[in-house]
Order: sequence, then C-alpha cells, then structure tokens
Amino acid sequence: MATKLKQAIFDKRMLGDSVTKLSPLYLAKKSPVMFTVEVGFFLLLAIGLLPNMSLEFVNENRIFYIESAIILIVTVWFATFSESLSESQARAKVDSLRNLEKEVLAKKLVDGKEVLVNSANLKVGDRVRVYAGEIIPRDGIVHQGRAFIDESMMTGESNPAFKEKDNPVLGGTKVANDSIIIEITSEAGKSFLDEMVGLIESAKRPKTKNEIALTILLAGLSLIFIIVVGTMLFFGYYLGYHMDISILVALLVALMPTTIGALLPAIGVAGINRLARDNIIVKSGKGVEAAGDCDILILDKTGTITEGARRAIAFVPMEKFTDEDIAQAAYAASFSDHTHEGTSIIELANEKKIEPPFMMEIMTGKPVEFSSETRFSGIEFSPKKKLSTTQDQTLKSTLPRTRVSAKVEELEESNTPVKILKGSVEAILKIATNVNEPELRWKAQEVSKSGGTPLAVAVNDEIIGLISLKDTLKKDIRTKLDEVHVAGITTVMITGDNLLTAQVIAREANIDQIIAEAKPTDKLNRVVEEQLKGHVVGMIGDGTNDAPALAKADIGLAMNRGTAAAREAANMVDLDSDPSKILKVIKLGKQLLMTRGAITTFSIANDVAKYFAILPAMFMKDNPKMEVLNVMQLHSPESAVLSTLIFNAIVIPMLIPLSLKGVKYKPELPERTFIKNMMMYGVGGVVLPFAGIKAIDLLLSVFMR
Amino acid sequence: MDIVILLVVLVGSLGLAVVFGRYIARMIIYEKRPLEKTLGRVENGFYKIIGVDKYEQMTWKQYTLALIVTNAIAAGFLLAVLIYQNNLPLSPKPGLSLDLAFNTAASFVTNTNLQHYAGDQQLSIFSQMVGLTFLMFVAPASGMAAAFAFIRGFIRKEFGLGNFYVDFTRIILTLLLPIAFFSALLLLFLGAPQTLDPTITVGTLQGGNQTITIGPVASLESIKDLGSNGGGFFGANSAHPFENPTGVSNVFECILMLVIPLSFPVAYGHLLGKGRGISILAAMLIGFGVMLALGFSEQSGPTGLETRFGSFGSALFQESSIATNTGSANASLTGMSPNAVIGLFLGMFVQAIPGADGAGMMMMIIFVILTLFLVGLMVGKTPEFMSMKISPRDVKLAAFVFLIHPALILVPSVLAYTTESAQSILGEQTTPATFTQVLYEYSSAAANNGSDYLGTSANTPFWNWSTMAVMLLGRYAPFVLMLAIAGSFTLRDRKEVVEPIKTSGFLFVGVLSIMVFVLTVLTFFPFLIMGPFSM
Repeated sequence: MATKLKQAIFDKRMLGDSVTKLSPLYLAKKSPVMFTVEVGFFLLLAIGLLPNMSLEFVNENRIFYIESAIILIVTVWFATFSESLSESQARAKVDSLRNLEKEVLAKKLVDGKEVLVNSANLKVGDRVRVYAGEIIPRDGIVHQGRAFIDESMMTGESNPAFKEKDNPVLGGTKVANDSIIIEITSEAGKSFLDEMVGLIESAKRPKTKNEIALTILLAGLSLIFIIVVGTMLFFGYYLGYHMDISILVALLVALMPTTIGALLPAIGVAGINRLARDNIIVKSGKGVEAAGDCDILILDKTGTITEGARRAIAFVPMEKFTDEDIAQAAYAASFSDHTHEGTSIIELANEKKIEPPFMMEIMTGKPVEFSSETRFSGIEFSPKKKLSTTQDQTLKSTLPRTRVSAKVEELEESNTPVKILKGSVEAILKIATNVNEPELRWKAQEVSKSGGTPLAVAVNDEIIGLISLKDTLKKDIRTKLDEVHVAGITTVMITGDNLLTAQVIAREANIDQIIAEAKPTDKLNRVVEEQLKGHVVGMIGDGTNDAPALAKADIGLAMNRGTAAAREAANMVDLDSDPSKILKVIKLGKQLLMTRGAITTFSIANDVAKYFAILPAMFMKDNPKMEVLNVMQLHSPESAVLSTLIFNAIVIPMLIPLSLKGVKYKPELPERTFIKNMMMYGVGGVVLPFAGIKAIDLLLSVFMR
Repeated sequence: MDIVILLVVLVGSLGLAVVFGRYIARMIIYEKRPLEKTLGRVENGFYKIIGVDKYEQMTWKQYTLALIVTNAIAAGFLLAVLIYQNNLPLSPKPGLSLDLAFNTAASFVTNTNLQHYAGDQQLSIFSQMVGLTFLMFVAPASGMAAAFAFIRGFIRKEFGLGNFYVDFTRIILTLLLPIAFFSALLLLFLGAPQTLDPTITVGTLQGGNQTITIGPVASLESIKDLGSNGGGFFGANSAHPFENPTGVSNVFECILMLVIPLSFPVAYGHLLGKGRGISILAAMLIGFGVMLALGFSEQSGPTGLETRFGSFGSALFQESSIATNTGSANASLTGMSPNAVIGLFLGMFVQAIPGADGAGMMMMIIFVILTLFLVGLMVGKTPEFMSMKISPRDVKLAAFVFLIHPALILVPSVLAYTTESAQSILGEQTTPATFTQVLYEYSSAAANNGSDYLGTSANTPFWNWSTMAVMLLGRYAPFVLMLAIAGSFTLRDRKEVVEPIKTSGFLFVGVLSIMVFVLTVLTFFPFLIMGPFSM
C-alpha cells in the first residue's frame, strides 16, 4: 500500500486532476459538502487578506484567518486527492488490461489456403479452419466437416456436442476432435474496456441508488448545520457573545459530514477498481451494489462448482476381473489419449501403483484415435517379434500376472492383433460382446448414482470393466459455498445432468437446491420466479441461451470466453472466466455499502467531540457557566479551532486506505457485523476525535506559547 | 408516593393503550369493531349527509388534499366565529383582531393550541364550546387519520391509503367522542365545572361578593388532553383549579394525554408484528423516560408552581404534556427548572416520544426509516423497511422532514430578534432566559405543541402572523412529505425476505433510540447551551 501510495503521489496526471477538481464549479456539482467548505475558505481568505476588515464579527488576528483558510483548502484538496487517486489506479488497471487483451489466431481460408489472421480482423462470411484442440474464434456455422465440440464453458454441458454442416457453433468453444471449417456469422464483439474507461471517468459514472440516497442525506445534514451555524451568529450576537466568523466557519466545517463527503466518490471508483484488479469488468455500478443484496445465487454445475473436466476417480472391474485388470486395460487404452480425461486415467492408475506388464507393446502400439463415428479410442498392437518377447520374459516374471496380461499374452501368442479400447458403454457394447450385459448395465448405473459417468474398457471382444469418470468439485468451492451460506444466501445449482448425479454433487458441495436435467429456459424462469418472491438473484452465464437470464438477473456475471450475446446481456464480465468469482463480487458489493455506512457513521459520531472542542472556544470568554462543557481543556480558543480543523482534515487521508480497500467483511450474521461496525466506527468515531483533537492541541500549544 | 403516582400514570396509560391500540388497529384495516352494526349505521347516515362514498379509496395526493381541505373549512369556520363572536350567542365578547383570529384558527386546526389570548377573558362561551372544542376534535382526528393512511402505506399494496372522510368520521364518532364524553364525566366528578353560565357569583369569607368565570370546562378539558390539543379554557390552563382540581385529576389528565399516542405503536404491533410494535413503544418510552428524568433531576419552583401539585406533580404533568405535544400546563414555565425545560425542548425537538396523536407515530417511523438506512449500509445491504427497498426519494423526503423542523424554529427566531419583535416584549437586554422564551415559542409552534412562555404578551401582529405560518408549515409540510413516502411505499413490492437486521428487539430499540437522540441533539445542542443551560 505504502509503495503504491508513493507511486501515486508522483503520478503527475493524478496530482493535476486533484488540483483541477478544486474548481468550485466542479465541486458545486459533485460534492455540495466540499463546495461549502471551499466557500468557507474563500470567506476566511478574504477576511485575512483584505485590508481594514473591521467588522462586528471579526475579532481575531489576520494570521489566524489565513491559517484557518489554509487548513480548509487542504481539507478540500484531500477530498479531490482521494478521488483522483482511486481514478488513477483504475486507469492503470485499464492500461494493463489493454495489453493483456488476448486475441486468438485464426486460420482463415483464402482461396483454399490457410492464412493466419487475428480473430479481431475476421469479418462476417469469412471461413476459418479449426483443428482439434483449437478455439473457435467467433460464433459461426459449420461449413464443412463434423466434429465433437467441447461447449462446457458455454452451456454447462460437460459432454461434447456433435456438430455437422450448418450447425451453429459458438465462439470460444473448443473443437475436441477432427477439424471443421466454420463460416463466421457475427460481428466482432464490442470491447468492454471502453465501457470501463467511461465508468472510471467519474463524470460519466452514474451514481448508484444508494449513493444518491446517501448524497441526499449528507446534503440534508449539511443544510441543517448551515441553518444551525447561521442562526447561531445572530443569537450569539444578541446574547452578547463575541461571535467570530472564523469560529463559526470552523464549527460548520467540523459539523458537516466532510469525511464521508470527501471519500464518497473515491469509494465508488475503488469498488469498480478492486473488481478490475480481479479481472472483472463492471458495466454498471448498479450491479456491484445489487451484489451486496444478493440472496439467491444460481450456479451452473459445470465450471462453477465442478472443474468442468471429468477425471477418473475409480475403476470398476467386471465380476471375472480384478481392480488391477481394469486398471491395466484402462492404462493401455488411455496411453495415447492426451485429453484431460485420458491423463486422469493414467494418473489414477499410477496412484494405485498399477502398471501394465506389457509396457513395451503399449509404447510401440498404434493409437486408435477417437472419432465421431466410432466414439471410442484406445490402442492397437500386433504380435511382437521373438526378440522382444524374450526380453519381456524377464520383465514379466517380476510383475504379478493378471488376467488381462495373461489374455494379452495369449492373444499375442495366437498372433491375433490386440485392441484395447475405451468408450461409452453403448459404443463399446457394439464391438465387444463377451460380457454379462445385465451386470455391466447395473454397474454403470451404480457409477451414475455416485455422480460419475461410466466408460467401458474392452480388450478385443471382452469387456474388462468400467472407469468411473467424475466431474470433481473445484478446489475450495466447498469453503466458498459455506461462506455464502453464512452470509444468508441460498444456492441453486443448475445442470443438464440427471437428478441422481446432480444430487450427489449438491450434497458434496453443500448446495441448497438443484434444477436437474435443465432446459435452456429453466434459468430464466427460475430467475424471474425468485425475483417475484422478492429475492435479489445473482447468476453466471456464458452461453447465448443464458443471455435473457443474465439480463434479467440482478447480478449477471458473464464469462469472457462466453458468447457476445451473454457478455452484452450481463452487467459484469469476468476476463478470467472463473465463475466462482461471483462470490467475490457479492463480497465486494457488501463491502462497498459497509464502507459508506461506516464512514458516514464515523463522520456523524465525530460531531460530538467537535461540539465540545468548539463551543467552549466560542462562548467561554463571555459566559463562565460554559466551563462545564470544557471537558477537553484545550490550550486556547484559537488552538481549539485550529486543532479541530486540522483533525477534520487529516482524517480524510487517514481513511483513504480504508475507502480504497473497503471495510473488512466476514461472512457472519448481519447483527454481529452491525454491532462490530457500530463499535468500531460509531463508538470509535465518538472517542477518536476527543483524543485526536487533544493531541493536536498539545502539539500546537508548543508553537503558540 | 411520587413513584407510585409515576407508576399509576405509566401503567394506566399503557394499560389503556393496549385496549385502544387494538381498537385503532381494527379501525386502520377497517375490521369489525365492537358494536359494528350500530356504529356503522350512525356513520353511514353521516356519510350520506356529507355525500361521501365510503368505499372510495384515495391515493396519497387525494388523501392529503381531502385532509387539507377539511382542515381549511374547519379553520375558516373558527376564524369566522372568533371574528364575529360579538354577534353570536352565549356571553358575546368583542371579536378578535384579524391577526389574533388567524393565529388562533391556525393554532387550533394544527393541533397546536398556542394561545395568544386569555380564553376566559377574551372568548365567549360560544367560541370556546362550539368553535374551539369543535376544532379540538377536528385536529387530532386529522392527525390520526393521516397516521392511519401512513401505516396503511406499509401494509397495503396498490389500493390507495384509505378514505380520509371515512377515517375522519370514524375517529371522531367512535373514538374521540365516547372517550371524551366519559372523561368529561369523570372530570366533572373530580370537580371540574360544566355549565353554560359564563360566571358565578359567590360570597367571600370577608362578606363581599366575587364573580368567578366559569363555563363548560369539563367537556373542553377532556378533549383538550385526549386530543393532544392543550388549549385551556382559562389562561392559566391546567394550573387553574377548575381545569385541574386535584392531584387525582392531575394524574388522570396525564393518562388522558398519553393514551392515544401510546396506542399507536400498539396498533402498529397488531398490524405489522408484535415485536415491531413493542420495539417502537419501547423507543418512545425511552425518550419519554429521558424527559421525565430531566424533569425530576432538579427541583422546580416554588414560584410559578401550584402548591397542589408541587415540583413532582408539575414536572410529571409538564413533561407528559410536552412529550405528547399537547401543550397544556399545570404550572408556569418560568417556574420550571432549567433541566426540566431542557427536557421539554427535547420533547418538542423530537416530536415522537411519543408525540401528538398520530403525528408522533408518523415521525417515529420516519426516524425508523433513517435508522434502517444507516443500519443497512453498515451491514452491506440495500436499506429496507418492511422488506421494501428504501429509495433515494424516501431518503430525500425524510431528510426534508428533518430539515423543516430546525428551519421553522431557528429562522423565525432570528427574525424575531432582527425585527426587534422579541426585544419589544421581552426587554432590550437579551438574556438566556428571554432567548429560551423565544426559542420555546417557535419550537412549540413548529412542533404543534402549544405551550408557551409568552402567552397574551405575544398578541402582536408579528408574533401572531409568524407563529401562524410556523404552525401551518410545521403541521402540513411534514404531513405532505410523510404521506408522499407512504404513497410510494404502497406501490412497492412486498417481499417475503428475511430482514437483514430485525426491526424489533433490544438491538434495534437501542440503535433507534441513539439515532433519535443523536439526530436531535446534534442539531439543537448549541441552542440548548445558549438558552436553558445558561439560565
């Protein structure tokens, strides 16, 4: 923080901004409280500088007026400084985002040849070829070829979707196998960065409802204090007190909620800023604020709660085989499968310390690629030459023989090519018939019940067993969701999976409600339904079919890799496409409000001490009865006024870090949060100025004799 | 003994408030009341006469307009009576000057009852019994009707705030009149006179004859206290032995003043949840407790006090009267101790502990809304009241309600000094005591309280016109703003969502009380220091 602050202080543009913002015209429009302080500055300055000011209400010496005036203008500058500081931080973030903005290279077809172009330069009608493992640069339709496309990031469906000619494909999705030619059908998406820049240029930043309400309240309070102080001048005069303009101005400035008035703009910008630091682009402050109120969170299963990529978690052998058999076969079948699922199978086998004895064969074997027609993959090897067999013999003796290795050996000896394949139960059943089908089906169902997806593994025509693939929970998601619960938010999981699988995941992740086998319209329906019940709904989406729900939800967080429609509809976009970040947004929304509330409370609580500092200074000379009020025993009326003003001013920069960082938020019962904050900022706000003003007064008294 | 009297007052008024609160709740939601059929018939006859469709529901604008028009007609009536009382029956007296008549009409229609005249000397029996007493029903009924509409704003969804004429009629016919009638009988029994003879002549101990002013005192007295009116039959108000004959009547009148203001939170509890009602009641009682404590903390008198009541009886009556913005007095304010006077100011500054019939409840809810606004921010939730979002407009209107009050007190006070109007009746030299009197006059007018130091000495055009303006603005401006808030709340969606911070329970009562105290004291602290504190 300290270094950041130092950097910021030397940021010329920011300093310039903070000075231009001192313009009375700007302040009158943006911050009535600060404007009033500035009027006080001009008034005192005029009295201090103009010659021969001998008015009824001017009794102090010239230097005192100038000193007070300087403190006032510094107070205003602190306010503009805090605003400029948070703006400059936001600007820095935007610049770095600009550099980071990644564009995909696309292989555009020009006269049948592939030309590498930037995805941003693609136009509607362009054709691009996309190979397995590559990302589709923009929304389009399949022009040629067919392929499985991993759309989990868009639709939440973890099974790849099969697309052929004229099927629409979404930008940002990944081709899983084969290659296709796509015709681009959409314009380049609008940059959210531009909107972000607009947002941080506070002139354009629309105030949120709560901000407006607070500004009104603060203006109302200020007006009341203006009436109070204005009429005091008269009453004091008629009652025979020696009223002094500077003391009245000081009292007014002290009473007005200058602290919150000064920091309010900075808090708003800082909120957007802090989200930007987490790579979330906010399109309106409204969404962030609504996030604080969110009490229903609709989450996609895939990608948010679970990793979105399935991993092998268990091997299920058929009756005739053992764990080792299926592990060895699965290992072999996945050896050349470099997808996430494939490697996870190898990892699982390694974990179990199982390795097929026929490693040599596997390594030299021919991979069977996954294809859309066959829907299985694996490995194939022919019988080896004698030479290698003898070498193998020695190896074999060290490893325990299993049925599978025996079978492989047997097949090799009989000179039959060996095919070890894995695929969906249906696909494998088509090629492998040597199996007790009811048993297989029953075991597959068990796997489903535990929340997994079964893959069958066969060696030639015999099915060895199943691999249970499961979408694993994201790291920390359980803790995060527990926190969400404490904050009083109900979670709803939406998934295309069947109810059984969904229930398992929900139980594991501590989800309150599920919508299983969800249709695309279910999300929108649920959002509307909850909103009618009065809930504030947060949701995440990335697919085009999410767009209506995203637009309807109070907090819509779109993934950057999602479709343009989704990004357009949502009120924030996460550049990292990490759906669990919505929890961060909720936390931040709460923090924003809390920070405003805390500093407002602090500001108002401060007034108590300020009365006790200034009123004795104002009245004690003429009315000995006021001695009772002089609990602070300040050095002199002048030092009392100056130290109150100085305290009032330095509180602002002291609270800048708090307003930029936000009040600490811990998920807990609101009552507890309230009591904690009230103690800290309410009671603290009463006590601190007593100590602070007294300390400053002690310091000043050294200089003032 | 003192503590017993205090307990009798508190328990008595709270006990009755529980009964009447239930009844008021039924009135607010037009539920069946006891004797519904009979009452309904009487009311229906009345609606027919004035030509009102009792089923018509009004928007907040219509409701406010109906209230203001009705009040204007009633005030016009009183104005005419006062100016032309010399031509009217029953002990005619010279008509009042235009400024005094206007001031008095405004004073009674706004439930203030600031009296720049001595009732027994300047008003005819007709003016008192027909003119003033009539308005003493109209004013509290209007305030209560407004509170009915206001509360409906939070429990109804989109079908208006009720019908002013119906509310108004029902409040007068089935609440104020019966209670006032029985209280008048009780006061009669306790020694207050009720006669149409303007005076009686009695033989004194010395053998001479003395003429004593008398009249229909008991009937005026009961509605004076029940309806948070406060305008006495006699210039000496409840210090006069005919208005407040004994210690028992003193206690009874205290209860009478407190009962309706305390019934409102009870009714609120019936309609919006018991805990919420009790919490608001508790916050009101805490405020009232502070006033009482200030009143008892320092010995008042003995000059200016009635020996019948003593320091305790006077402080109890005065604080109760000011707390409910009734404004009747059983002692001279000049006799009250500085602390007691600070307590009185507190009551007028807050206007909601428990405040006038109806108006006090509305003011307290405004405090609740502002409290919830801050509380909501502190816990990171958009502030809500009754699960309805508090919008910037609500905050704006509520802030205006708070702004109006100090403005109406302080600005005219300055004017009184700059125009030398204060000096001309209080002396060239301004002292904390005379400043207190000026501040008190406008506080009383702005809070629609009606008690004052100045009395007939303020019967000058400046004081009459200025306090009239303050009373009217102090009554109707907040009403319009508050009903506007209710009007927008009634359009809002009700939600079955858990409140982030419960609007009941110790925490809430504590926060609400602190909020009320801080908002009030921060505004008025310097003036209390310059005035009563320095006396």
